[in-house]
Amino acid sequence: MMDFINFLGSNLGDFWAYTGFANATWQHFAMIAIGIFFIYLAVAKEFEPMLLIPIGFGMLIGNIPFNMEAGLQVGIYEQNSVLNIFYQGVQQGWYPPLIFLGIGAMTDFSALISNPKLMLVGAAAQFGIFGAYMIALLLGFDPMQAGAIGIIGGADGPTAIFLSSKLAPNLMGAIAVSAYSYMALVPVIQPPIMRLLTTSKERVIRMKPPRAVSHTEKVMFPIIGLLLTCFIVPSGLPLLGMLFFGNLLKESGVTRRLAETARGPLIDVITILLGVTVGASTQASEFLTIDSILIFGLGALSFVIATASGVLFVKFFNLFLKEDNKINPLIGNSGVSAVPDAARISQHVGLEYDPSNYLLMHAMGPNVAGVIGSAVAAGVLLGFLL
Amino acid sequence: MNKNKFGILSMLLAVVVAFTSCGNKGEETLGNSKIIINEVLMVNETNFQDDYGMHSAWIELFNKSFGNVNIAGYKLECEIDGQAVKYTIPKGDVLTLIPSRQHTLFWADAQPNRGTFHVNFMLDSCSTTKDVTIRLYDSGDKLLDETTIPAGTLTLADQSYALKEDGVKESWEIKGAGTEKFVTPSTNNFTLDRNIKMENFTEKDPAGVGMAISAMVVVFSCLIILYIVFKCIGKISAWNAKRVAAKTKGLNEEETKEAMAKGSTPGEVFAAIAMAMHEMQEDVHDVEDTILTIHQVERRYSPWNSKIYSLRDLPKK
Repeated sequence: MMDFINFLGSNLGDFWAYTGFANATWQHFAMIAIGIFFIYLAVAKEFEPMLLIPIGFGMLIGNIPFNMEAGLQVGIYEQNSVLNIFYQGVQQGWYPPLIFLGIGAMTDFSALISNPKLMLVGAAAQFGIFGAYMIALLLGFDPMQAGAIGIIGGADGPTAIFLSSKLAPNLMGAIAVSAYSYMALVPVIQPPIMRLLTTSKERVIRMKPPRAVSHTEKVMFPIIGLLLTCFIVPSGLPLLGMLFFGNLLKESGVTRRLAETARGPLIDVITILLGVTVGASTQASEFLTIDSILIFGLGALSFVIATASGVLFVKFFNLFLKEDNKINPLIGNSGVSAVPDAARISQHVGLEYDPSNYLLMHAMGPNVAGVIGSAVAAGVLLGFLL
Repeated sequence: MNKNKFGILSMLLAVVVAFTSCGNKGEETLGNSKIIINEVLMVNETNFQDDYGMHSAWIELFNKSFGNVNIAGYKLECEIDGQAVKYTIPKGDVLTLIPSRQHTLFWADAQPNRGTFHVNFMLDSCSTTKDVTIRLYDSGDKLLDETTIPAGTLTLADQSYALKEDGVKESWEIKGAGTEKFVTPSTNNFTLDRNIKMENFTEKDPAGVGMAISAMVVVFSCLIILYIVFKCIGKISAWNAKRVAAKTKGLNEEETKEAMAKGSTPGEVFAAIAMAMHEMQEDVHDVEDTILTIHQVERRYSPWNSKIYSLRDLPKK
C-alpha cells in the first residue's frame, strides 16, 4: 500500500513539475501583466485593437510557464512545435510582404498622385529611422542591430519585422512589439510634438483641394512606382513588390475578387497569425533583457524624431512655395507610415484650430509615401549592412 | 490597322528587341554557370578519403547560386594530350541535388561502378606532367565551365588547384603548398569568419552619420524621381482630359486651344451646379401619395447560388 501511495505521490510530483506554477518566474508574470495591459488598451481605449488584441493575447500564450527541459514542443522557440511553425512566417519574413499586399489593395494613392510633392514629406520623416540608428550606435549596439532598431522609426510593423528578421533575429520580438506598441500610441506621441513645432498661423493654412485623378494614372502608379523604386533599391522588392501588386489589383478594376481577398480575408488571416506569434515571441526567458528595455526607449525616440523631422521639413519646404500653394505643417507627422492613424492625427489636430479645415485627404499623401519611404529605407539598410 | 492595335504591336516588338539585345543573361553559359569547377586535387596520398577508404584524385564542383541545382545528366570531361573522356552524371540519385552555395566532390578514379560520384577517368601523378583540361557540360552538352591545370603546376602530392574565392573565376592558386593555404575538399576555399561590411561601418562611421546621410539621399532620390515622373504624368493627364472634353463639346482647333488655356474648372463649381440641379429637380417633382405598401418578395438568397462568386467580369472592350 505504501508503495502505491509513494508511486502516486511521485506521479503527482512529476505532474507538479510540469505545471505552469512550478515553472513560473517573476518575469513570466511581468510579461503576462504587459499582455493584459495591451488588451486593456485595445478594449477600453480602442488603441489599435486589431494589433494590440492579437499581440496582447499572444503575450499570454507565449508566457505560460512550462518545463522547458521536458521537450514538450509547445514553446514558440521549440523546433516544429505548432507555434514555432506559425512563427516561421515571421522568422522567414513572409508575413510582412503578404500584409503589404493587403495594404496595397486597400490604399488609395489618389491624394499622392494628385499632389506628388507630398512624397518628399514621406521621405523626410524617414530620418526617424536613421536618427534612432545613430543613437543606438551610441548606446553600444552594433550597426546591424542599430539598423534593425532604427526601423521602428518608420512606424511600419511589417517592415520592422522583415528587416529585424534579416539583420538582428535575436532582437526581433522586442522590435516588433515596440513598433506595434508605438503605432498604437501615435495619438499620444505625435500631437504634442506637432503643436510644439508649429505656430498658430501655420496650423490654419488651407491647402488647395486635390485634383481628380484619372483611372490611367491610378493604374500607372503601381507599375511605375515598382519599376523606379526597385531598380534603385532591389532589396526592397519583397515589400514594395507586394505593396504595388496589391494596389494594381485594386486599381486595375478587372480583378475585384482578388483585390477583395487581398484586403479582406487574406490580410485578416495574416494579421491574426502575425500578431499572435509576435506576441508569443516575447517569451520572458528571451524577451526580458536590458536590450529590450533600451529598444523600447529607442523606439519612442525614433517616433519623436520621425514626427519632428516631417513637420520641420514641411516648414522648410514652405519657404520655397508660393503663398497659395503652401502645405499645412500639421500633415508633416503623416510622413511616418502608420496608415491611416498618422493622417487621422493631422485631421484631428487641424480641426482643433480651424473646424472647417479638413486635412485628412492631404495627409494621406505623405502617409502612403511614408509606406514607400520606409520600405525603401529598409532596402537601403539591408543593402548596406547585409 | 487602328491606333490601338498598332500601339500594342509596337510595344510587343520593343519588348522582343529589348529581350534579344539583353543577351542571354538568364541562360547558363560559360562564365555565368551556376555550377562551376572549384578545386581539383590530382595526387592524393594522405588527403581526403572516398567512401571506400581510398585516396583518389578529386574534382570539386560548387553551386554558386542561391538556389538548389540538380546536376543529374550533367557531364564531366577530362582532356589530357588531346584525348578526352566524358562522364555522364547518372540520374536517379538524390545526392546530385546540390544545395545553394554548397560543394560536391567527384572522385577521378576511373571506377564509375563505385557510385554516382566516381567518374570514368583517372587523374594521378602522371597527369601532373601534362596540361589537364576539365570541362563541365549540362545535360544538353552545352559547355558550362572549363579549367586547365598547366603541366607542372601541382608538383607535390596532396596539393590542389583551387579558386581563391569560391565561385569567383578570377584567380586560381595552389593549395597545400604551405601552412597557410589548406586543401579544402567539400568546404569553402575561402573562410569568411568576419562581417567585413559591419567592421567597416564600425571603424569608419562609428556615429552613423555617413549611413544616415547616404541612406536619406537614396530615400529622397527614389521619392524625388517618383515625384518628377508623376508631376509630368499629372500634367499630361490634365492636358489630355481638357483636350478630350473640348473635343466632346465639338470645339474647333482655335476654340480648343482657348478652352485649354483657361485651365480646369474647380471642383466647387461642379458641386454648386450639381446642387442647383438637384434642388431644381426636387422642386418640380410631383408629390407622391404617402401610402406605402410592402409586399414580401420570396427570394431565398445564399452566397452559394450567387453568380458573382463564380463568374469573372467580362472585359469592357
